[in-house]
Amino acid sequence: MGFSSVQSAAIFGLKVELVNVEADVGNGLPAFHMVGYLSSEVREAGERVRTAIRNSEMDFPAKKVIINLAPATMKKRGAAFDLPIAVSILTSLGKISQEKLSSMLIVGELSLDGKVQRVPGILPIVLAAREMGIMSCMIPKDNVREGALVEGINIIGVESLKSAYEHLCGIKEIKKISRKQKAIHRKSNKTCTEELDYRDIRGQHAVKRAAEIAVAGGHNLLLVGPPGSGKSMAAKRISTIFPSMTLEESMEITKIYSILGKVDEEAPLIEKRPFRSIHHTVTKTALVGGGVIPTPGEISLAHGGVLFLDELPEFQKTVLEVLRQPLEEREIWITRAQGSCLFPANFMLVAAMNPCPCGAYPSQRCTCTPGQIQNYLGKLSQPFLDRIDICVEAPKVEYEALKLNGTIRNPEEGSAEIRGRVCKAREIQNKRYQGEETRFNAMMNVSEMEEYCTLETEEERMMQQAFDRLSLTARSYHKILKVARTIADLEGKERIGAAHLAEAIGYRTLDKKYWGR
Amino acid sequence: MRKNNDMDWPYEYWLASMHGISNKKKQKLREYMKSAQAVYYIEETELKSINFLTEEDKNVLRIAQNMTSFEKEWEGLAKRGIWMALCFEEKYPKRLLSIEDMPYVIYGKGSLPKEGGISVAMVGARNCTTYGELYAGRFAKALTEAGAQIISGLARGIDGASQRGALTGGGKTFAVMGCGVDVCYPQEHIGLYMDILEHGGGILSELPPGTKPLPFHFPKRNRIISGLSDYVLVMEAKEKSGSLITADMALEQGRDVWALPGPLNSELSRGCNMLIRQGAGILVSPETLLADLKLSNVNFLENQAETKKMLETEENMVYSSVGLYPKSIGELIDETKLSVTEIMRLLVGLELKGYIKEITKNHYIRIY
Repeated sequence: MGFSSVQSAAIFGLKVELVNVEADVGNGLPAFHMVGYLSSEVREAGERVRTAIRNSEMDFPAKKVIINLAPATMKKRGAAFDLPIAVSILTSLGKISQEKLSSMLIVGELSLDGKVQRVPGILPIVLAAREMGIMSCMIPKDNVREGALVEGINIIGVESLKSAYEHLCGIKEIKKISRKQKAIHRKSNKTCTEELDYRDIRGQHAVKRAAEIAVAGGHNLLLVGPPGSGKSMAAKRISTIFPSMTLEESMEITKIYSILGKVDEEAPLIEKRPFRSIHHTVTKTALVGGGVIPTPGEISLAHGGVLFLDELPEFQKTVLEVLRQPLEEREIWITRAQGSCLFPANFMLVAAMNPCPCGAYPSQRCTCTPGQIQNYLGKLSQPFLDRIDICVEAPKVEYEALKLNGTIRNPEEGSAEIRGRVCKAREIQNKRYQGEETRFNAMMNVSEMEEYCTLETEEERMMQQAFDRLSLTARSYHKILKVARTIADLEGKERIGAAHLAEAIGYRTLDKKYWGR
Repeated sequence: MRKNNDMDWPYEYWLASMHGISNKKKQKLREYMKSAQAVYYIEETELKSINFLTEEDKNVLRIAQNMTSFEKEWEGLAKRGIWMALCFEEKYPKRLLSIEDMPYVIYGKGSLPKEGGISVAMVGARNCTTYGELYAGRFAKALTEAGAQIISGLARGIDGASQRGALTGGGKTFAVMGCGVDVCYPQEHIGLYMDILEHGGGILSELPPGTKPLPFHFPKRNRIISGLSDYVLVMEAKEKSGSLITADMALEQGRDVWALPGPLNSELSRGCNMLIRQGAGILVSPETLLADLKLSNVNFLENQAETKKMLETEENMVYSSVGLYPKSIGELIDETKLSVTEIMRLLVGLELKGYIKEITKNHYIRIY
C-alpha cells in the first residue's frame, strides 16, 4: 500500500509528451480523487477504472485513492489513461511490483467489463517511446499491428485489464511480437489496395498529359470542364502516378492518420498516397486543422498525396485563402491558447471547376450572362490562382472515345507507364536539387530559375512574342518557365526547347480578364 | 409674371425632364408659350385655355410647377459636363428631325455625331457568339479607319465589340443609352464608357440624367440609334429580338440595312439571314462594304498584306480544323489524330502568329 507510478503518453499536435501516472492509496475516508489539469473525459476515467477493476475479479479497496497525472501544467485529454491509472492503482495496492513497470509505457482505454479498447495515436507514441529509450510498450490488442510497425521496441498487446495484470505479475506472460511478425504486418496492406488506373479513362489525353507533368514537377493543377466530363475520375487517379512511397514517407503519413484514429486495424501502414476529396462546405478549421488542442486538418491528411477540391468556385472565399500559406510553406503552424503545433502539409493541389455556372460555356448552349460568368470566376481570388501552375480543359467525352471496341484497338496508356516517366523526371530533379531546399521544379526560386531555365535565342523570341500577344504577367511568365522545365525533364532534355515552351504556354493558368467577355 | 424670352437653361431642363407629357406636346407647348420659363410660370386661366393638352397633361404640369430643385440640379449637371440639345435648337442632330416620335431633347456627354460624316449603326445580340463579336470588331475598325462614325448602344456583346473596334480604328463612336447619360449600363463597360468620351465620341440619351436602365427604355432608344445613322449593320440577331426591331425602324426611317450572314444552324444568325432574304445588304467583307459605301481605307488593305504568312503543313492542318465557333483541344485531337504535346505546340504557335485565339481554357477559334 502506498505510492506508485506508471509511464504513459499524451499527444499534443503531432508531438508526444510523456505523462507520469501516479497513484497513492492510503488510509482515510474512502474517496477517489484525480488531479493534474484533466479534461472531463480523463476525469471520467475514475468511474471506468473502479468498475473495470471490480469486474476483473479484483477488489477495489475502500481507501483514499489519489491519482496525479504529471506534469500538471499540460492539459490531458483522451481515454488512453484508463489502463495506466488502473495499473498504477493495482501497483499501489501491492498486486504488481513497481520494478516490472520500469521502462514500460502503458496506454489504453478501459470498458466497464475490463476489456482494453483501442486508442488513437499508437504509432507516434511507440515511436516516441523508442526514442526516449523505453524498452516496451503495453498497448491495446487491437492496436498491436500499428504498434508493431516500429522496430526495436517490445510491443505487448493486452486484451483486458486482467490479462495485463497477469502479464505484469508473471502469472501468464503475453508473447512479444517477433521481428518476423512485424515484417509481415508491414507488408499486409499490399494485397488489399483496390486498383485505380488511368487505363479506365478514355480520351481526355490533355488531362492525362497535364496530370503527368503536374506530378512530375510537383505543380498544382486546375481542371476546367463541363459537368460529367470526368474531372473527378481523372483527379482520383492522380495519386496512382506518383512515385511509390518510401517507408519513411509511409510512416510519416501513418502517424498523422494514427492521431486521428483513422488507421486500419488489420493493415495499419498507409502505402497508398492519400487522396482527399473535400466537399465545398468544408470549414477553415476542418481544412487546415485546429481545435482546442490542435488536430491535423484535411491538408495534413493529404500530406504526400493529393488534395482535391471539386467545384472550386463553390468554396467559401475565406476557406480558399487559408490554403495560400500552406501551399507555399508546405506545412502549417496551428496556434491556439494551449500552444502551437506544426503539421506537415506537403500536398499536391488538384482543383476542378465548371467553365461557367451552367457548365456549357463557350458552346452556344450556355445560358449564362457574361455577368454571371464573371461573378462565378470572381469567387476565385487571383493570389489563389497564382499558386496553380497548370490549367487544362477536360472536354465532354465524345461517343467515339466511349465506344468499347475502340479501346481494344488503341488501348489507353496505363498508370504504370506514366508513373515510369514521372519517376525518371523526379530522379533528374533529385539530382539537380541535391543539397538544396527545393525538391522539385515547382518549388524553384528566381535564382534557381536563372540557373536551370535558361532559354536560347529562338525560345527567348517565342517567350517575348507570347508575353506581348497573350498579355502575360510576370507571375505567369515564371510559371510557364517552371512547367517548361518539367516538360523538358520528362523528355530527359538538358535544355528547354521550343516545343517544351509552347506546351507549357498552352497549360498556362486561366486569365480571368479574358474569359467570358 | 413673365421674364424675357431668352433661353433660360434651368427652365428648359425643367420642361425637358418633365415626365408624363409626350415629346410632341412638349414641343407644341414650348412653341406656344415661346419659352420654358413662360411654361413654368403659366397662370391657371391660361393653362385652362390650352386645348391640345388633356386634363391629365395639365395635372402633370401643375404638379411640376411646384418643383423648385431643378435650378440646382441643372447646375450640378452642367458642372459634370452634361448638356442638352433641344429639338428646335441648331445643334440638335438633323438626322433625328425626320424620324417618327422625334425626341424632344437629347442629353449628352462628350460630343454629338458630326452632321457631314457618315454614321453607321451597329447592333446585335448581347449574348452573341465569338464569331459575331469578332466581325463586329473588324467591321467597326475598318469603317472608322475609313472615317465613318459608329453608333451603338454600349450593351454587352455586339454593341460593346463594335464600339471597342471603332476605338481601335482610331475613330469616334457614340453610345445611345437606355438610361441617363450619367449611368453606365452595363456596369462592366465603364472602361469603354470612359474610352468613348476620351476619344472624342459621345454618350447620348433622351432620358434625363439619373434615369435607371429599365427594360421598356430599350426598344425606344433603338429608334434613336437607327435615327442617328445612315446605315444600320445587324451583326447577329435571333429571330425575335431587339436588334430586328432596330432594323425594322431603320427601314421605316429610310436607312439602309446590312446583315452579317451566318451558319443556318446558328440561332443567333437566323435573324440576320432572314433580313438578307428580305433584301438587306450582305456583309461579305469589310472591303466590299467600304466599296459599297464609297469609302476607302488604305490602311486596311496594307494590314491585310502584312499579316499574310505561310504556314507549315501540320500547322495548316490544325488551323483548318479550328473553326469560327470555339473548339476544345479534345475535339481537335480527335480530328487531327495528333498527340497532345504536338497539338499544344501547334496551337500555341498559331496563337502567337495571330491566326487563332484561345477564348477560354483550351477552346480555340479562328480569328484570321
